Amino acid sequence: MTDPRGQRAFIHYVVLPMLLLTVALLGGLRVAAADHAFLFVAPPLVTLVLAGLLMALFVRGGLVRPSAWVRADRPLLGNLAHILTLAALFAASAQAFNSVLPEQGLLHWLFAFFFLWTLWNNQFAPFDPARLLRSLAVLFGTAFALKHMLLAGLQPAETGWMGRVAAALLQGVSLGTLDVPAFAPATGYISFFTVVLYVGCLMLMPAAPGGDEVRQLARAG
Amino acid sequence: MRESVFQGLGIVSTLAYGAVIAWLYATAPRSLGEVATGARVAAGTYQVDQARFDAGLRLFRSEQFRAARDEWGRADPAQRDPRTQFYIAYAFYREGWGRVYKDDVLYRQGIVAVNRAIAASPAATLVVANPTLQMHTAAELQAELEQGTERHMGDLNPLKLLEPRK
Repeated sequence: MTDPRGQRAFIHYVVLPMLLLTVALLGGLRVAAADHAFLFVAPPLVTLVLAGLLMALFVRGGLVRPSAWVRADRPLLGNLAHILTLAALFAASAQAFNSVLPEQGLLHWLFAFFFLWTLWNNQFAPFDPARLLRSLAVLFGTAFALKHMLLAGLQPAETGWMGRVAAALLQGVSLGTLDVPAFAPATGYISFFTVVLYVGCLMLMPAAPGGDEVRQLARAG
Repeated sequence: MRESVFQGLGIVSTLAYGAVIAWLYATAPRSLGEVATGARVAAGTYQVDQARFDAGLRLFRSEQFRAARDEWGRADPAQRDPRTQFYIAYAFYREGWGRVYKDDVLYRQGIVAVNRAIAASPAATLVVANPTLQMHTAAELQAELEQGTERHMGDLNPLKLLEPRK
C-alpha cells in the first residue's frame, strides 16, 4: 500500500475507528486491587452528557464538520462508514471521561461538575481545532493526574501515616463521602494509555473526510 | 485499492469490534481465562471438562460435597452445562439436608444452581439418569430445595424426622 491516498483511506476508514473503539474498550476497564480481576465499568449517564457536549464543542471548534462527513450526494457506503466513525468518536469520548472520573461518591460529582462547567463555558469561547485539541489534552491530563495520582495515593492501605492523615482530612472536607475504590496500579497505566490514545485519535481526526488532520493544522498554526 | 473497499472493510471491522466490546461489557469477564471461556460459549465450541466432571462425581459419591462442587465449578467455568449445574445443586441439597433441620444457606445456593440448570436447558426437561440419585429431574430438585427453605406448621410433625434423604 504505497499509494498515499490508499494509506490515508486505510487510516481514515479502518485504523481511526479501531483506535477510537479501543479507547471505548479501555475507558471503563479497571483492575481490582484485591485479586487483580478485570472490572468493566459501564459509562455513567453523566459521561454520555459530557460526550454530547464535547461533540458539540468539536463541531463549534471546527474539529469535525458534520456536513462534510455525512452528505446526501455521497454513496451510502461512505456515509455509513462516516456515521460509524462519528459514533465511535462519541463512545470513545464517553469512555475517556469514564476513565478519569472517580467511580462514586462526592468526588465523582465534583469532577463531573468540573467537566460540565468547563465544557459549557467552552461552547461560547472562540476555538480553532488546534487550540481545542490542546485545551482537551490539558483537561483530560489534569483529571487523570487528580484521579490516578492524587486520589489513588490517598488510599490508606497503600500509604504511610501522612497518607492516612491526608485521607482523613479529605474525608472530613467531603462530608464523609470520600469513596475511593481500591484499584490495582495497572488501572492508572490503562487510564494513561486510554487518555493518550484518545488525544492521538483526535489528532488523526480530519475536520472533513479527505481534509487535513488536526495534527497538520496544529503544526501550521 | 478503491476507497469503497476500505469503506466496506471499515464498516465490517467497526461493527465486529463494537460487538465484541458490547459483549465484554455485558458479560464482564474477570480474567483473560473467562474471556476465552466466554468466547468459546459465544462460538458454540464450549465443552465441559469431562475429567474434572468425573472427578467431581467420585467426590460426590464419597459424600465430599464441597470438594465435588469445586471440581464441577472448574469443569464448567461458564456455568452453562445443565447436567453439571444439576449436580452442583444436588451437592448443595445433600450437604444442606439434615434429619432435624435443613441448612437454608446451602439450600438457597442450591436453588440458584438448579435455576441455572433449568435456564441452560430451555428446550427440554432436564433429566439426569443416575440410578444412585432419588431425584432425576431439575424440577423435582428445585421443588425439594424450595420446600426445604419454607416454614410451615407441618415442620412440627415428628414423623418428618423419618423422611429419608433423597
